[in-house]
Amino acid sequence: MQPSDAARELVLAFADDELCVGQNHAWWIAIGPFLEEDLAFTSIAQDELGHARSLYGLITDDVDDLAYGRKYSEYRSAHIAEMLCHDWSWALVRHLLHDTAEQVRWRSLLGSTWSELGDVAQRCLAEEQFHKDHALSLAERLLSSDEGNSHLKPVFVELAPLAREYFVGPDEELLATGVISVSKAEQQRLWLQELNEFFEPYKIELSIEDDAPSDGRSGVRSDDFSLLHDEMTAVLMIDPLAKW
Amino acid sequence: MNTYEVFLKKDGKESFNHAGSLEAPDDGMALTYARETYGRRNEGDQMWVVARDSILIANQDDLKMADRSHKHNDGKLVAELRRSNRSSGEDSDAAF
Repeated sequence: MQPSDAARELVLAFADDELCVGQNHAWWIAIGPFLEEDLAFTSIAQDELGHARSLYGLITDDVDDLAYGRKYSEYRSAHIAEMLCHDWSWALVRHLLHDTAEQVRWRSLLGSTWSELGDVAQRCLAEEQFHKDHALSLAERLLSSDEGNSHLKPVFVELAPLAREYFVGPDEELLATGVISVSKAEQQRLWLQELNEFFEPYKIELSIEDDAPSDGRSGVRSDDFSLLHDEMTAVLMIDPLAKW
Repeated sequence: MNTYEVFLKKDGKESFNHAGSLEAPDDGMALTYARETYGRRNEGDQMWVVARDSILIANQDDLKMADRSHKHNDGKLVAELRRSNRSSGEDSDAAF
């Protein structure tokens, strides 16, 4: 199937989110809080880059060029995905918000009329369950201690509204043509419901404003993006023929 | 943190082999970390994660007894005896 502009835009935004989060997670290679967590977190980083590659591959034959060769205004990543998060509690909170949202987003693509996209979703969901379990298990243990709770709670409250951007964008045409089977509003509701059920024992309630907090989807980049982009293109600057 | 030992096995192949050890705050996280630390490249189809505290450790001195060569019977002595019996015309099985 030849994807419509709307379908292409949906995939590009999802791929850019995965690219940015994968790149950001990878910053923790060798400096994770302890060896086992370092390995797990950066293995997840690699998975996210793999998701990005699968998605870019649906809309281009030259993945490297699309991933790294665009003007800033042509990226569609959500600002929370671009955020550097060089503080571990921020990195963990973004991981949890990102992967709970990601699972809901993949599920909305299962059985898509764009069958290649549905296949990618099916493949990625198997990994996604692990990513989500990892984030929730670790957060659960940290939130159960006073110290962990006092570190993480304010970060959840601050970042959760930004994660709403994962569900921003037009979806009427995508629903009508069967590219997605769950509206973005409903995806956001499912995501928030899961989070609030998870946070209930820890007395954290997330409220999400109705207005989109940032406009990465329309081509505006956050302040963190240029540093992130410099890092992800550093090898390409040295060797333009380097491949993923 | 607790220490765990991780064992992996491929379906239809060999027995469980020790893959390595790891530290985790509890059993649940140990399973999570074991998968990423030792199984992220599909190294095994089955995995055992064992709390090191649950392992019974044998006394090393008991394992180091002086001469255990008589436990390593490779059949040479018996074969030699049978050969010499045969060459001297005796019934080869009679000696046993």
